Amino acid sequence: MESILLRARGRADSRTLAAYRSAGGWEGFRKALGTSRDELTKQVIDSELRGRGGAGFPTGRKWTFVPKDHPGPRYLICNADESEPGTFKDRELIEHDPHMVLEGIAIASYAIGANVAYIYIRGEFVRWAEILEAAIAEARGAGLLGRDALGSGFDLDIWVHRGAGAYICGEETALIESLEGKRGFPRLKPPFPAVVGVFGKPTVVNNVETLACLPHIVTRGAAWFAGIGRPRNTGPKLFCVSGHVRRPGVVELPLGVTFREIIEEHCGGIRDGRKLRAYFPGGSSAPIMTADQLDVRADFDACAEAGTMLGSGGVIVLDDSTDIVEAAANVAHFYAHESCGQCTPCREGADWAVDILDRIVAGHGRPGDPDTLLRICRFASQGMTICPLGDAFALPISSMVEKFRAEFDARIVKATPVPQKKLPVLPWAGPRPGFGSLEDERRCPSGLLTAGRSRWRPAPI
Amino acid sequence: MPKRIIDGRAVEVAPGTNLIEAARAAGVEVPYFCYHPHLSVVGQCRICMVEVEGQPRLAIACATPVAEGMVVKSETSERVKEARAAVMEFLLANHPLDCPVCDQAGECLLQDHSFSDGTDFTHMVETRRTFKGYERRLIGPHIIQNQNRCIHCSRCIRFTQEISETAALTYKSRGNRAFIDTFDGRPFDDPFSGCAADVCPVGALTVREFRFRKRAWRLRSTPSVCPGCSIGCNLFVDHHERVVYRFSPRENAAINATWLCDYGRFLAESLNEHAVRHPQRRTGSGFDRISWGEATSLLASRIAAAQKVGVVASANLSNEALYLARELFAGADIVVPVWPGEERRMKNAKREWLRSADAHPNAAGARRLGLATVDADGLAAFLARPFTTTVVLDPLAHPALTGEAALAALARPGLVAFGRTAHPLLERADLVLPVASLACDAGTFTSSTGAVQRFDAGFTPPGEARPLWWSLIALARERGTAPFADLDDPAGVFALLAGRVEGFAGLEWARLGESTEGTRREHQHVG
Repeated sequence: MESILLRARGRADSRTLAAYRSAGGWEGFRKALGTSRDELTKQVIDSELRGRGGAGFPTGRKWTFVPKDHPGPRYLICNADESEPGTFKDRELIEHDPHMVLEGIAIASYAIGANVAYIYIRGEFVRWAEILEAAIAEARGAGLLGRDALGSGFDLDIWVHRGAGAYICGEETALIESLEGKRGFPRLKPPFPAVVGVFGKPTVVNNVETLACLPHIVTRGAAWFAGIGRPRNTGPKLFCVSGHVRRPGVVELPLGVTFREIIEEHCGGIRDGRKLRAYFPGGSSAPIMTADQLDVRADFDACAEAGTMLGSGGVIVLDDSTDIVEAAANVAHFYAHESCGQCTPCREGADWAVDILDRIVAGHGRPGDPDTLLRICRFASQGMTICPLGDAFALPISSMVEKFRAEFDARIVKATPVPQKKLPVLPWAGPRPGFGSLEDERRCPSGLLTAGRSRWRPAPI
Repeated sequence: MPKRIIDGRAVEVAPGTNLIEAARAAGVEVPYFCYHPHLSVVGQCRICMVEVEGQPRLAIACATPVAEGMVVKSETSERVKEARAAVMEFLLANHPLDCPVCDQAGECLLQDHSFSDGTDFTHMVETRRTFKGYERRLIGPHIIQNQNRCIHCSRCIRFTQEISETAALTYKSRGNRAFIDTFDGRPFDDPFSGCAADVCPVGALTVREFRFRKRAWRLRSTPSVCPGCSIGCNLFVDHHERVVYRFSPRENAAINATWLCDYGRFLAESLNEHAVRHPQRRTGSGFDRISWGEATSLLASRIAAAQKVGVVASANLSNEALYLARELFAGADIVVPVWPGEERRMKNAKREWLRSADAHPNAAGARRLGLATVDADGLAAFLARPFTTTVVLDPLAHPALTGEAALAALARPGLVAFGRTAHPLLERADLVLPVASLACDAGTFTSSTGAVQRFDAGFTPPGEARPLWWSLIALARERGTAPFADLDDPAGVFALLAGRVEGFAGLEWARLGESTEGTRREHQHVG
């Protein structure tokens, strides 16, 4: 497949406006400004573009939820808070082609009628925030952004907002709260952000990769885009392959290729001649897949059918040297650390799961532990929490327990009880002077004291 | 009105009502922790799960508004029961379960829901999470925090953000390590800090003044009205064995929702002060204890013999006592001293601030009865007049009564004083008559917004102290003044008052203070 999203990768000057323009860049925005908003939205609906952030919601339909009669202002937010373990595609896009992302933001902002767009970027991405800021300044200087963009009468300001290091702020409502300067707590839905979003105004939150697809849809047409991949799962997708493969990295492939093709053809297969044991298809929050499920197609619907999810496309490959129990503990640690602490099942459940898994790893598992883990996962997912973080920790762990139950049981069979901590000796514990000990007895001049009992007898007559 | 069915019971409620309130109207109790009727809905405790027909997932009742024809299953659904039991297990996984030494026991939502929705078993075998150094922490002048007991419902935080508007409390840290702290580590000296402990469904925040003084289930709650200012917040006097232990808020949407200010709340202790327990007559330098019969006839004869009688009434007295005083001292001059005091404020259920103009619970009632109100200067002028007998119905009517000038003006023969607490004025009186505290009195106050509110008597007064209405009716009987001599309780006085005074027309004693909206909650202050 031709490189679409990653076409600039490897070029030294790829971040410059000139390089982007020479490849036909910013023409999509110019073309979009010439069409009506409804037409543009229809074009995106026809392209069947689905959100690349994880949920796979149709992007065009999301835009239609913004109330048409709202007096505004409306906002567009580019979600660049890429924090899912095993996901690094947005960073790649920003690194090599920041203008493609900006053009996507400009097109989406025009489509929903937003004059202000925010890029909420993960706090750790210091360099990439700087890249974006430089690109924005360049685009502004060239009249592509700012007041009266491209002489069309459409105003657009893009601001880069850096997060403060919370995974949960990738969830769109927590992101909005964080953007408003509050604690990153996901909001109750409804109302959805499209109706009540940032600062109480209609807001659309789209992922970096989703937005990067837009210039191509506009310039090359919805039909061209819909022709890539499979029906309802169209377009190119960035897969971030990490773990025990020979050539880890970001690969761009049409949706619907099999995971076997991704791992074996594009990433050189498993490293050191080992065998695949399992893989996460879409970041560590997707239910794990076993080696015999390698022929599942990497698209939204096929993954859902196989009982997992494509998520953000972060493929984490585990070879047969991997201890699944330890991997589960690792995953649990991440989500327990990142739980915001609002909902009871996620707050209490994630930490509880960590305690159990740590205990099993330490060799002190108990026979009921896998079932307790499954119970925790069952009641922390499927709508038991405000946001999907409950599912994010529950689904991978329950799938690991279910699919690799034997590994858990083998550990538990060999387990020993938790060593009892030696309690500190309290200053008043032990033999008290004058009473009780043999030594005291020997010392007692009257001879009336024995260990624990008085040996006093009435004096003989 | 959308019709809906909860656990097989049909109910009609206003559109927009959430499922918890709708279920309550249908007689079904949906458990909750983070929901509070007067705070915003966050939906984070997850115990209020219900099954809505046609929805694949369980819904949280607090954030689900009713819809026409909705069919909801709460206690009748196995899925709901299972989910609630799981949430209870999650909540108790790290809860210290120290109910025997916890002050909240008996009025704790966690305890209640553990019984109603939990199981008697836990899968938890790990070491419990604790917050070292946060087990017994004085976070403000009145509030003690035990973070180990906290269930992270965020009610206290939302209270300080939305009601008291100080944003004094906040979450710190994240996830299971999140804890409640004061913002910026400053002391929690909110003027409504007691309410943060009220809304706390568990024993994480407790009131220092009440801690370890009485188990909650021993307390008897008598509906009453706050004597602190003219706003007239509804409250319960919580008492046991004739000792008042605390005030707790009583719900009234128009006045105080479920809040009380710290000033009013901590007046509770003052009701236990009873320095005067018997009628006393001055004999030379000391006082002699006399019977009520003697005292009443003495008072009647004093008034009959006096050329000019002056009566200092009080805006702290009930409408009934004020009315009896007005009628029985018809020939005398009566004034009601009114003191503006410090401004108090209270937020009602519509989140509007009510502000108090004067420091008495019944200044509006005195005005409505047509009694002359005076300020400090007016009071001084009144006391300077040459009365041969001066009757002071309440030495606490005005702070000026403790002043040198007032005491000097009253240092003449013929001072009759009713009193409860030690007061310099009583030492100068010829006749001292004991009165009962608010906790032992029944009557009505008229709030600054014009609401006539009833308070009930919780227990009989100590010694021979009697409510003022009782003493005044005794005086009427002594003098044979009809129709007051035939009355025998404040209800009768109020009936007479309602028939004769325009401002009280149409009111009925039995129906005063009747809840106009919704059903009464068992623990009103908890929500």
